[in-house]
Amino acid sequence: MSDEEKPGQPEPPAASEAPKAPEAAPKAASSPDPTASPAPAAPAAPKPPAPKPAVPPAPKKWEPTGEVVVTPVTEKLAARFGDAVQGVKSPCGEAIVLVKKEKLGEALAFLKSDADCAFDFLSNLTAAHYPVNDKKFEVVYDCYSVAKRHAVRVKVALDDGEPCPSAVPIWPTANWQEREAHDMYGIVFEGHPNLKVILLPEVWDGHPLRKEYPLGGPKEAAIRADKFAKPGYMPDDLEAAERIAEEGRRDH
Amino acid sequence: MTTELREAAGTSPLRKALETTTMELNFGPQHPATHGVYRAVLQLDGERVVGIESIIGYLHRGIEKWVEYRTYTKATPIFDRLDYVGAILNCHGYVGTVEKLMKIEVPKRAQYIRVVLDELQRIANHLLWLGTHALDLGAMTVLFYGLREREVIMDLFEAMVGQRLLQNAYPIGGVRLDFPRGWERACRNFMAELPHRLDEYETLLSSNRMWLQRTKGIGVISGAEAVALGLSGPTLRGSGVYFDVRKCIPYGSYEDFDFEVPLGENGDVYDRYIVRVREMRQSLRILQQALDGMPEGPLMPEKLSKIIRPPAGEVYFSVEGAKGQLGYYLVSDGTDKPWKCHVRSPSFINLQGLEKMVVGGLVADVVANIGSLDIVLGEVDR
Repeated sequence: MSDEEKPGQPEPPAASEAPKAPEAAPKAASSPDPTASPAPAAPAAPKPPAPKPAVPPAPKKWEPTGEVVVTPVTEKLAARFGDAVQGVKSPCGEAIVLVKKEKLGEALAFLKSDADCAFDFLSNLTAAHYPVNDKKFEVVYDCYSVAKRHAVRVKVALDDGEPCPSAVPIWPTANWQEREAHDMYGIVFEGHPNLKVILLPEVWDGHPLRKEYPLGGPKEAAIRADKFAKPGYMPDDLEAAERIAEEGRRDH
Repeated sequence: MTTELREAAGTSPLRKALETTTMELNFGPQHPATHGVYRAVLQLDGERVVGIESIIGYLHRGIEKWVEYRTYTKATPIFDRLDYVGAILNCHGYVGTVEKLMKIEVPKRAQYIRVVLDELQRIANHLLWLGTHALDLGAMTVLFYGLREREVIMDLFEAMVGQRLLQNAYPIGGVRLDFPRGWERACRNFMAELPHRLDEYETLLSSNRMWLQRTKGIGVISGAEAVALGLSGPTLRGSGVYFDVRKCIPYGSYEDFDFEVPLGENGDVYDRYIVRVREMRQSLRILQQALDGMPEGPLMPEKLSKIIRPPAGEVYFSVEGAKGQLGYYLVSDGTDKPWKCHVRSPSFINLQGLEKMVVGGLVADVVANIGSLDIVLGEVDR
């Protein structure tokens, strides 16, 4: 299923980012340019009042504030994996490390098995989408040790469509959480025993928590993009709205 | 039927000679014992469960997406809709996350008021759970009694914050209002009465032979398995693992109070039941100490801007929800709207443990196991 969705997926960002590209271009030098060039061709083809999906404001590049927190665990990780592990700034004093994808499986297994770390409890697993970053996705592991009572957050940055090694062999609790991240962001977890939809319907277009996915889905976004529509507006002519939505979906 | 008999039935030569096949049984989504729209596809070998597939998502409302389009303040009430029988705890988790991210110092009195409301909510949740769990197993009386006591708590909430079920109790930074006049006395009256009521429920259940037969030795999960599966809350503590966020990662002045963390021994349905009943008694202890030692002072921090704009960065904060560790992962990009919000909902993750509990057991015990997990589908699907 994910294979069928992937070819369709890269198009919406191109179309939706197109009007905002001039603003974002000076800040994020390299990444938006290749996506921006095919974009003007896409809106030119349909007729002028083609509804555009309502997208959130153009994402700007931002950096986390605060300081990098060093704990015995992060020191140990740094000693073991060298520059594959990098500290991340935290505004509220949490230990966060960014691990290179090649070393991720090894690092997570190390965190679980090492006697000083002993992270037996994967508290939380989720993903995040940063369209402006070089690597657009992040998978986040919040590890906690029930025995030692300490915590660390491990993150890994991924490109769109780049598979992430599954944490299920290390922590079985990752099973459903990875399925959820797959639903919401389209991240593929390699080695997952049963990577299929969990929260969404079995047939669902797109990945709702990606930033280019409009609130309410493409259909509602198309209705709202109708020039007579205001937020919260319910069209009198439902048939026309359906037609606009259909067109919007086709463009999308 | 004892465990030995069950095992014997599974391996009898007669059964093998008959070449039985498995049967698929659809359980839910419209079934009273699933506590919401939860569907399980069971593989049955006679009466024995050999496989289960959980199908969820019927109640998925996309709350995490919705929040990205709202300011931090406006996003607060939606989290009550996750676990709608433990709404105050959800609210505490969210505002606590924003407070941690912004390093807001919540005044001591506000923290104590939060503890009082949190523990009342925990008791209310456990009372409703006790009633519905008993109802699932055929004991109807407990539900009516449990709802009677819960009603008192709902009235207390109504007097305190104006709402009974989805209270939107806390603003970011503290609490809105102090206890109204007479509230504390009403609360103390309730606290004086509840231990006797709990004794009554325990006489109905804890030594009831039918109850013991339906719960003892059913759905056993070991401590190591439970930790690996990420279970938390009373479900994990029923397996004898000491992990309570209030004790292990203290927040909101919980380190001031003297209370015990009840632990089970066998990790069966009975242990998960008895842990929750004991937890209600411990919540009463916390309530007593919080009301006795209630400090004076302001309810909101002095310097708090009207527009909540946390520094850019990420935060993970968890509270001990009624169901387990209730965590919030927030990413702020420095604006007044969250970049990302993820809820680590204990019901969702505890439900993963169901497979381990029911496989190998009888089909009638599936209901007992789902009940013992204390799931709310609003929180499972978000």
